Amino acid sequence: MVSNMTNMATRTDNVSDELDLADVDQIIERHGRTREAVIGILRAIQEHYRYLPAEALRRIAETTSISPADISGVATFYSQFRHRPAGRHTVKVCIGTACHVKGAEGVFDAFKKHLGIAPDDDTDADRLFTVEKVACLGCCMLAPAVQIDEVTYGPVPSAKVGAVIRDFLQSLEPSAVGRPQGVSVSPVGEVRMCLCSSCVASGAADVYREFEHQIGRRGIGARLKAVGCTGISYQTPLVEVAANGLSARYGKLQKDDVRKVLDRHFRPAGLARSLSASAYSLLDRLARSEPADTITRYNVDVRDGPDGVYFGAQMRIATEHSGELDPLNIDEYISKDGFDALRRVASHQSADDLIEVIVDSGLRGRGGAGFPTGRKWATVRRADADTKYIICNGDEGDPGAFMDRMILESFPFRVIEGMAIAAILAGAAKGYFYVRSEYPLAIRRLRRALEICCERGIIGQSVMGSAKSVELEVVEGAGAFVCGEETALIAAVEGRRGMPRFRPPYPSEEGLNGKPTLVNNVETLALVPWILRHGAGSFASIGTSLSTGTKTFALAGKIVRGGLIEVPMGITLAEIVEEVGGGIQDGHALKAVQVGGPSGGCVPASLADTPVDYEALVSTGAIMGSGGLVVLDETDCMVDVARYFLDFTQAESCGKCTFCRVGTRRMMETLERLCKGAGRDGDIETLERLGARIKAGSLCGLGRTAPNPVLSTIRHFRQEYQAHIEKRCPAGKCRDLITYSITDDCIGCTRCAQRCPAEAIEPRPYQKHEIDAEKCTRCDTCRQVCPADAVTVR
Amino acid sequence: MPRLTINGKLFEVTPGTTVLEAARQNGIDIPTACFRKGLQAVSSCMLCVVKDGTRDRLIPSCAAAVVKDMVIETDTDEVHDARRSALELLLSEHVGDCEGPCQRVCPAHMDIPLMLRTIAAGRLTEAIATIKREIALPAILGRICPAPCEKACRRAAYDSAVSICLLKRCAADADLARPENYNAESAAETGRKVAIIGAGPAGLAAAWHLRCAGISCTVFEAGATAGGALRTGPGTDRLPHSVIDAEIALIQSLGARFELNTRVGHDITLDAVRESHDAVIVAVGHIESKDASPFGLPAAKHGIQAAPHTFATPVEGVFAAGSAVAPTRMAVKALADGKRAAASVRQFLAGERVIGMTVPLVSVIGRLGEGEIDEFMKDADRSARVEPASADNAFKHHEAIREARRCLHCDCRKVDSCVLLRLARLYGAERQHYRGLERALFERVTDHPLVIYEPGKCIRCGLCIRITKAATETLGLTFIGRGFAVRVDAPLGATLRDALRDTAGECVEACPTGALAFRDEGWAQ
Repeated sequence: MVSNMTNMATRTDNVSDELDLADVDQIIERHGRTREAVIGILRAIQEHYRYLPAEALRRIAETTSISPADISGVATFYSQFRHRPAGRHTVKVCIGTACHVKGAEGVFDAFKKHLGIAPDDDTDADRLFTVEKVACLGCCMLAPAVQIDEVTYGPVPSAKVGAVIRDFLQSLEPSAVGRPQGVSVSPVGEVRMCLCSSCVASGAADVYREFEHQIGRRGIGARLKAVGCTGISYQTPLVEVAANGLSARYGKLQKDDVRKVLDRHFRPAGLARSLSASAYSLLDRLARSEPADTITRYNVDVRDGPDGVYFGAQMRIATEHSGELDPLNIDEYISKDGFDALRRVASHQSADDLIEVIVDSGLRGRGGAGFPTGRKWATVRRADADTKYIICNGDEGDPGAFMDRMILESFPFRVIEGMAIAAILAGAAKGYFYVRSEYPLAIRRLRRALEICCERGIIGQSVMGSAKSVELEVVEGAGAFVCGEETALIAAVEGRRGMPRFRPPYPSEEGLNGKPTLVNNVETLALVPWILRHGAGSFASIGTSLSTGTKTFALAGKIVRGGLIEVPMGITLAEIVEEVGGGIQDGHALKAVQVGGPSGGCVPASLADTPVDYEALVSTGAIMGSGGLVVLDETDCMVDVARYFLDFTQAESCGKCTFCRVGTRRMMETLERLCKGAGRDGDIETLERLGARIKAGSLCGLGRTAPNPVLSTIRHFRQEYQAHIEKRCPAGKCRDLITYSITDDCIGCTRCAQRCPAEAIEPRPYQKHEIDAEKCTRCDTCRQVCPADAVTVR
Repeated sequence: MPRLTINGKLFEVTPGTTVLEAARQNGIDIPTACFRKGLQAVSSCMLCVVKDGTRDRLIPSCAAAVVKDMVIETDTDEVHDARRSALELLLSEHVGDCEGPCQRVCPAHMDIPLMLRTIAAGRLTEAIATIKREIALPAILGRICPAPCEKACRRAAYDSAVSICLLKRCAADADLARPENYNAESAAETGRKVAIIGAGPAGLAAAWHLRCAGISCTVFEAGATAGGALRTGPGTDRLPHSVIDAEIALIQSLGARFELNTRVGHDITLDAVRESHDAVIVAVGHIESKDASPFGLPAAKHGIQAAPHTFATPVEGVFAAGSAVAPTRMAVKALADGKRAAASVRQFLAGERVIGMTVPLVSVIGRLGEGEIDEFMKDADRSARVEPASADNAFKHHEAIREARRCLHCDCRKVDSCVLLRLARLYGAERQHYRGLERALFERVTDHPLVIYEPGKCIRCGLCIRITKAATETLGLTFIGRGFAVRVDAPLGATLRDALRDTAGECVEACPTGALAFRDEGWAQ
């Protein structure tokens, strides 16, 4: 084999000259030479070269026992791996559901246009920027969101693309956000801030550094603390100050406000009480969150008191103590009963009894399908095998869902505790957290939390001093939604293409390396310690008879207050939208709630009284799914939403079984035709028929649920499909079916003409402007920039 | 021993048996494409789905182990419907022509590519058998046919079409020049008698094909010689009467009787003819509608009224073909009609349902996109079209061989063994049920000495990948990419030649479609 590979390498010697293969050799040295290492090796090579050079792949084949077929197969399966050189910076345009309904496609086009990137390329001529779409950045409340390297921007309407690029280029000095250092001054109070990905995207890091700077400079006795996310994404950067018995929250705080906040709560000795009245009035305004000119970064300006309704209908179990806990402070976690449950499990109680508690609690898998968790544990426990594994499924790939990311970033110890409990009770000594690589902070914190737990003897050879042993490590995904399916996930952990196989045998019988393997979702595990501490009854008393406890959701879309929420099962969708989410944005009306992402469906406003309950949601054509809730208003086109999801699933299909590989593609194409005004009579029936076949015939859950977004929207919004066949888009969303025009309200400011990227508007100062429909690309920029709301869409 | 019920019958199997194995062990057929005994089942084609009645869902039988008291249905409407859908989805992305475009447009549906390959291999005598399966009068057509086949020939997109018509003539002339002419192997005599009215191209063709089927036939011809429009029609000035006579003589020597100078409706009534024969084919050539009456047959707009596919007239046992039904200037079309009418008559006499010659499903690429012809040319002989040197426009044998080698082999190399095609026909799949927005470009990989790979025909079953892996090929094959665009290819940008060192034959044999096929024997590279 080696000789053959060498021959092949010689063929391309002219290229290999440019590549120093010693780097590849070092990477291989670090990661090992067996098949399980392949994804790690490929990732490291890509980090090094920013893509996977062909010569590097050949080098792996030459110097490891990984077969050429496995190398090429894996390197081309995962979407994270690039095979052509990338620009120096990567612009990732989020096309998650929330971003999609807020125009992400237009934003993507605008970036490519602004950077002068050819339609069939993704990188500009100077190789400075590569523009990519990303399934979901998990910043749904900042939609449309964009990430350039490590910096997240949001919301970025297409009109602001140029400004974002300029801003990024100006701020190129390396800015280490990192974890803040502890403050040594004996504290008289605390300033709490969340530094999760979403909050950082809203500028929380700048504000945090300013606090750090000001506290240090003034010698204030305040402890600055990075805490787990409250989930109040619509208000970030959000700061909570607790001092002198007073607690206050400030939403949408900006760097310039930091000094005033500190002055209010931690007045340094010697400073005369000479703060001007105006400063106080600003603070009051901040606290009451009245619109203030200084806070203009985001257009959502609603603010509730510290105990506002946002928390009212919520119930925190998986996200218990949100906003209080420093994610990586283990002592704090312990002080809030952390690891109590694990201690009990590790020390005495019988495993069967404890599994019984989980069974009795009614806990069902939060990853989507809702399989009873206790039963799964019992199956793995009963399985007769010398080795068993546990895998925590953190491959949260649904566009519009970021619960697992928030939980992992904010409560890593809780997930580790749940995982260790499950491992011990199921009889698994080795476990893996499989976390998608789009969540770098979650991975970093989880790895650090595991180190801390090992140092403290909480996990490892002897769990909390017992004879039980649990080794846990983090495995990074490489970009494949299908790896959320457990058999595909196992294939990925084994270093293979993430292709599902037929079940049974289930992983609980034959999983990782052919051994019984318990696969549980992040949120499921995060609920476990609470259940063991409070008892099965406490958990089962929440929710409905078959859906007990709480469920977290990523609430996003056309909602006033979005973010990570945790609500009791049984709450209705209407209650979530109105009471938790504060209703629909901009006075629009609720049209539907998309539940369950690409596997789920749209529940129409008329069924908004549907409770959050596995079975009740299925009866509407949706599913519980992993917990994306995207709220849609009447400006959202249901055919477009269906097309969006099918586009996603067909791109994420592993390509193994005929129904999913070809079937979802054909459904997507039919929807694409409808949205382009090329629909035909019979298309709706074809979608229904093909959808039914794909559901019945596909090999795995991805295919079996892929038609849901289409079938549920046909079921509830059939007339909208019919309208598209007649070449109308009632919601005014589908680009090919709409026209932009300017009304008599035009004030002749020329702003639209100046910003139109297609030169479809001629500037005519003080006169009514007109849009040339031929040239118009329906990018929406004119409507966004018009100060007089004079641009209409029909 | 787990027991299960399949289609209502109880079976006992050894533990670990799959549902597919259980069914096959007991003589119940379940179709598969991605399954091969001895290799791990992957359930990708999903053609083996069956209904698991216990859990009320469709399952791939190749991967599902039998569990106690399973209730399986293998042949319900639901199961067949799922299989048909899977087949239709596979057909919707299939970039391949089962038949060459030349054959498809030929009214007589002659297997032109096979004829060309046989001629190219220097076996002219064999070529005539291929020709005469569909065309009774090839020497004649070789001189007068407007050759729609050559208009469809893909080679024209590169330089000029293969000279199909002249090659057919060459093979036919060569046969006529031999002392022992080709004579179709006739079926055993059935003892049934058919009257054919009219000895023009349609009637002659009908006579040839009926004789091939072991049915005796009498041709009634009003004129003094057989041949009809072949002697008078368009282009026949180029047609020496000696050629017509020679080919008619071959039909005669196959046992057809000719009653010349006998005008039916004048010298003898149609009823009398019907009386003495088991069936009648009216092939009197172009007549005005009103002239249909002498035969006592209902008339349609252009001639005698006959069903479009079966050529049956409303009078039981009477069929009508050729210009008598709808005027044509193309002798080949009249010939084809005569052949089809003969097929209907055979069905009628056998007491079968008369459906005429059905057109079985085939996959069709359609019009080529830009650059696609280059794929067809990859392995082709690039010589220019050979023009016959002799004045009478006839190919010398060596010219014919050179010209025939210009064929691009558009037809599928595995049309006879293709699992996809066989099952698609079996389950009545429709090719265009799920049409895609755009088809993938045709590709032909020709670097391997034994194997041709046409990725557009691949159903991604991965059998070849599993075979190369099991045989520990140094490189082997792998899936590249994922989802709809996933393809089977050599890893690390290697060639097929390097990928398939030891397993080429096994892969070709296992490949359920024409994606992997052997090169033609003796087909020089």
